[in-house]
Amino acid sequence: MLEFENINSILIVGAAGNLAKLLTEKIQGQYPHIKITGVDSRKISKLSPRENIHYINMEYTRGNFEKIFRENSFDCVYLLGRFAHIGLSPLKSLINQLGSQISGIKNLLDLCPKFKVKKIIVLSSYHVYGAFSDNPHFINEETPLKADLAHPEVRDVVEMDKIAAIWKNSHPEVETTILRPCNLIGPRIQNAITKYLRLKNAPVPIDYNPNIQFIHELDFLDILMMAVTKLPPDIYNVASDEFISLREAKKLVGLPTIPIPLFLFMPATKFLKKTLWSIPDYLVDYIKFPCIIDNSKLKKAAGDLSFKHSIRESLKNL
Amino acid sequence: MIEYLENFFSIKPPEAKLEEIIFELNRRYPEGKDPWGLDLKIAKKSLQILYPFYSNYFKVRIFGEEKIKDKPYMIISNHSGQVAIDALLISMAFSLEISPSRLLRPMVDRFVVGLPFFGEWSAQTGAVLGDRQNCMKLMEKKESILVFPEGLKGITKNTSEFYKLQEFTDGFYRLALSSGYEIVPITLIGCEEFFPFVYHLKSLAKSLGLPALPLMPNLFPLPSPVDIYIGDPISLPKNLSPDAPDKEIKIHVNEIKRKMASMIKKGLKNQRTFWSNKGN
Repeated sequence: MLEFENINSILIVGAAGNLAKLLTEKIQGQYPHIKITGVDSRKISKLSPRENIHYINMEYTRGNFEKIFRENSFDCVYLLGRFAHIGLSPLKSLINQLGSQISGIKNLLDLCPKFKVKKIIVLSSYHVYGAFSDNPHFINEETPLKADLAHPEVRDVVEMDKIAAIWKNSHPEVETTILRPCNLIGPRIQNAITKYLRLKNAPVPIDYNPNIQFIHELDFLDILMMAVTKLPPDIYNVASDEFISLREAKKLVGLPTIPIPLFLFMPATKFLKKTLWSIPDYLVDYIKFPCIIDNSKLKKAAGDLSFKHSIRESLKNL
Repeated sequence: MIEYLENFFSIKPPEAKLEEIIFELNRRYPEGKDPWGLDLKIAKKSLQILYPFYSNYFKVRIFGEEKIKDKPYMIISNHSGQVAIDALLISMAFSLEISPSRLLRPMVDRFVVGLPFFGEWSAQTGAVLGDRQNCMKLMEKKESILVFPEGLKGITKNTSEFYKLQEFTDGFYRLALSSGYEIVPITLIGCEEFFPFVYHLKSLAKSLGLPALPLMPNLFPLPSPVDIYIGDPISLPKNLSPDAPDKEIKIHVNEIKRKMASMIKKGLKNQRTFWSNKGN
């Protein structure tokens, strides 16, 4: 198991994301000796340059990555971003971007043993399981990843997770850990669920009230650090024991909602996507159907797992 | 008529009993909620609202309640009555008449979970999607489970099949073996008469993708008095693996089915008439 004291250099892929920025600050704050290289194909903004942090804005190609690996002896790689941001792209673009995603992650992973990387942390998501009406509660890590059956736009995450999982088994020399967190929330996180929670007059089902799990951004940072030092290489669902119903969550955030029947939820959000409710299609299913993940594997591996921020407190401060 | 309805809905469980139930349920569920959607406030409110139906409409009697101790069980029951009122009455009986009070967790069909409003309410009052993983997790939390081993076939019977147990699935027995839970067989007498004349349009239901499509003259259940018989808890063989071949499991499942058929036979001999009072 690695210790941060013994790490000299870290690569963070997806460095423009807010989670990556928080992680960079945390590592630098605690371990200033570690050289952090952050890369992203998006523009990296609002970052204060420090001596030991280097940001590279670049296209994700094998050549570019190989150069970075060659020039830095990374001990650890955090893969926190997508190689292709699919979003709401039309189908043709989606196919191209999915191709980039698949080849991008495979190329990056293949470079790690070549350049003696000791640890890889891959950020996946609980979304990979998919939200379906017949989901059992407490989905464990062995559950098939079915999200892409309903929503092709999340196929990139599913594919990334699958590729990383297969790669992990065939390369035991590199400790690879895949994290599938529940909904990440926090004042600095901008993702689909925080946007929905912060949306005024957001729709909520009137006839159904699913339970949802959330994890605070700072608690998840602790898990990202723990993944290097404490967690055996494996796949982990990341959630606390807490949960909250959707209606209560929206109430805690304190914004007005519009109750609508479940059967109208998808048509209404599709119809009003460009005007009133900018909610991705896949997220609607995670609002409509339960998708509670089982955290027992993480708890067992981590031993004394505790979260500093309760769901209720996190939602109030969103 | 209005006065009658007012009187009917003013029937409440005995105050002392209600306090005891609320105390016990608060102790069991200190957070008042659980990840499957249980909402203790709504469960308690529902108990009070539905009590007149339990007590004065279906006039439920329970026999053998002393066999239930303060530990979790897997309760298995015959399924009858076209709609899952039987699950509701059993759950109410275990909250109201068995000490210490408990909320049973009925394993329900996917169709029920997806019903608007009713799906949410059933989860708030304790029902859970009948899935192996859900059941295992509930048993890890020491919850008492209610299973209908006949499944949908039990509840969607034609009049000619009333009180005939349908084939039992053996999943409940394997789950009990995995968890070490004792199985308690119970039988309900009186639910089949809620809808006394029923014919199921099975082919049409299948082509419409519905779980059942019954034809029946009454749409509201008739006030048939219901008796709940609790059988002796069944300890499971220690040397039988939950992954044993079907034929080894089936021997035990069929034995339970035989016991329940015999309980039904005895219960039918004491079945009350439609307009009888609770005591006769």
